[in-house]
Amino acid sequence: MDVRLQRINKSFGAVPVLKDVDLVFPSRKFVTLLGPSGCGKTTLLRMIAGLEDISAGSIYFGDREVNRLAPRDRNIAMVFQSYALYPQMTVRKNLGYGLRVRKTPATEVDSAVERVARILEIDHLLDRKPGQLSGGQRQRVALGRAMVRKPDIFLMDEPLSNLDAKLRVTMRGELRRFHLDLNATTVYVTHDQLEAMTMSDLIAVMHKGVVQQFGTPEEVYSKPANLFVAGFIGSPPMNFLEGKIDSGRFRISEAALPLPPLTRGIAPGLDVVIGVRPQNLSFVTSAGPNALAGIVSLVELLGSEKLIEVQIADRKRISVQVRADSQIHLGQNVHVEFDTSSVHVFDKLTEQSVLEAMR
Amino acid sequence: MSRFSFLSSDRAVGLIFIAPFVVMALVFMVYPIAEAVRMAFFSYNPLRPDLITYVGLANFEFIFSDPLFWSSFTQGTIWTLLSILFQTVFGVGIALLLHRKLFGMAIFRGMLLFPYIVPTVVIALIWRWIFNPEIGVVNYGLLSIGLINEPIYWLSTPTMAMASTIMLNVWKYTPFVVICVLARLQAVPLELYDAAKVDGAGAFRRFIDVTLPQLREVLIVVIVFRTIWTFNKFEEIYLLTKGGPGTSTFNLAVYSFEQSMASLRLGVGAATGVVMMIMLMIGSIVYLRVAGFGTEEKST
Ligand SMILES: Nc1ncnc2c1ncn2[C@@H]1O[C@H](COP(=O)(O)OP(=O)(O)O)[C@@H](O)[C@H]1O
Ligand SMILES: [Mg+2]
Repeated sequence: MDVRLQRINKSFGAVPVLKDVDLVFPSRKFVTLLGPSGCGKTTLLRMIAGLEDISAGSIYFGDREVNRLAPRDRNIAMVFQSYALYPQMTVRKNLGYGLRVRKTPATEVDSAVERVARILEIDHLLDRKPGQLSGGQRQRVALGRAMVRKPDIFLMDEPLSNLDAKLRVTMRGELRRFHLDLNATTVYVTHDQLEAMTMSDLIAVMHKGVVQQFGTPEEVYSKPANLFVAGFIGSPPMNFLEGKIDSGRFRISEAALPLPPLTRGIAPGLDVVIGVRPQNLSFVTSAGPNALAGIVSLVELLGSEKLIEVQIADRKRISVQVRADSQIHLGQNVHVEFDTSSVHVFDKLTEQSVLEAMR
Repeated sequence: MSRFSFLSSDRAVGLIFIAPFVVMALVFMVYPIAEAVRMAFFSYNPLRPDLITYVGLANFEFIFSDPLFWSSFTQGTIWTLLSILFQTVFGVGIALLLHRKLFGMAIFRGMLLFPYIVPTVVIALIWRWIFNPEIGVVNYGLLSIGLINEPIYWLSTPTMAMASTIMLNVWKYTPFVVICVLARLQAVPLELYDAAKVDGAGAFRRFIDVTLPQLREVLIVVIVFRTIWTFNKFEEIYLLTKGGPGTSTFNLAVYSFEQSMASLRLGVGAATGVVMMIMLMIGSIVYLRVAGFGTEEKST
């Protein structure tokens, strides 16, 4: 079932938390709400669940407006950040609770619980209580409780944030698999861009209650709509440099870097910020038109790569990602070359992408 | 390890912190209890301090064959059970109301502790006035709105006197239950209610499946303490009815007092106290076992 959010607004008292959120989540897609802490992700998710009033706007499931529908009548399921398992009930009781409340016959409840427990490999834990489980096991029970009712829409609020790093990576793949099995529209909330990139069909990047960009992981990564998205998506983060546009070139101190052909139409003299990812920078042996001179100020080994921080003119620093076996050392004089085609240009004033606006 | 490590160890600091309490407990709790237990085995008339004699179990034999002891026990038990029942039900109810952020609740919350703070002697005197059959405001009110046709003798028929002492106790100690329950309610994770809503539970199911289980431990503790305090309670009954009419509102505390002070049998009074202590100890242990105290799952 598809979910449509139409000009959703939300304020707590006089404080606006969500502003004109307009989104369509296509049926059976895995959609992620991504943004820093406090940007309104949980609030939006709770509104979809019916746990929070809508100040203005409408939510549709399919063709039905659900604004006034109670959570129980929405056929949704939700996994909470704290898991929110009922502490006095066994895992079996926790899993079956939603079905029992809905007066499902006991035999059906039992078989549904057993089925989900088998899928999640928690059948050996059914008679324990939540207090006797590890974090990862609790998380699976919380998932199971949501899966057992076969919901149309599956809501998850940072379900992996309480797990250790290794388990989190494993669970990313599993959640993705469960999504494919479940045939439900999944709305997933996270502040972790890597999680969003690896799991989602679509990502809505949010900041200060406003949707900054809504698109596939490739789109938000390679065509960021504004400075915020550009800085938030990707690791290590994108480099930003301020300067002016001058006849198809980007002027920063003495250097004038060539820009992609598309930027020829930009008004000369416009104050811009260009963004380029560390992966799209490289070292060259001699000064050239595309290169900036600088001194290596930090070398970080990331594993298979090295991140080199280079101090260029005006005490600016940029990061360059190179292979781990590159022989670059601290204090070395280097020239950094830009891959012109992968440079992003943003209007300094509006912070919007100039390139995307011209496409 | 250094020679001075004991003084700076956690253990030493802990001992220093609890030392004053241990001394106080020895002086003001252990000694009087020991003395009361000793007294239970002596014949002790305060007017004849020269005649204190060891009598073995005679004091216990006396009380166990005294019908007034047994009727005091029964009446005290009824008094305790009904007081606790109403306090718990009202306490939880009022706490749930206060927990919702309704208009005016802040004021009500402020007034809540009033009955608990006012000295019992003041309350009992006021209650004797307002329950006075001829000039009391309660009868006046009930008569004038037509609920009753003739005055109720609140404190001078056995049943009504018992009901009045229960009412006084409930009125005075319900706030204690409210405070304990309210504190616990504020610690219930809100996501549990959200999870139950999504699971489809209505308000009643949420109360049964989320709120009540969270209140279980605090209610067990509150009920144990309230039971002990109420079973031992003296002044509320004595000040309101003096145990009367007749002996119809005697409980064991009043019985013990009457034996000691009116009949000057301090040994019998002390023996009653020892019996009460043993009863409460056994009762509390059995109750905590049955109620399963300490087995609650802490985590969500
Ligand atoms: N019940 C509430 N009352 C007042 N403000 C709230 C409430 N819930 C959330 N907020 C505020 O709304 C903003 C968004 O919160 P939230 O949706 O929880 O953010 P996120 O999940 O993205 O971290 C935050 O500034 C938060 O302080
Ligand atoms: Mg959140």
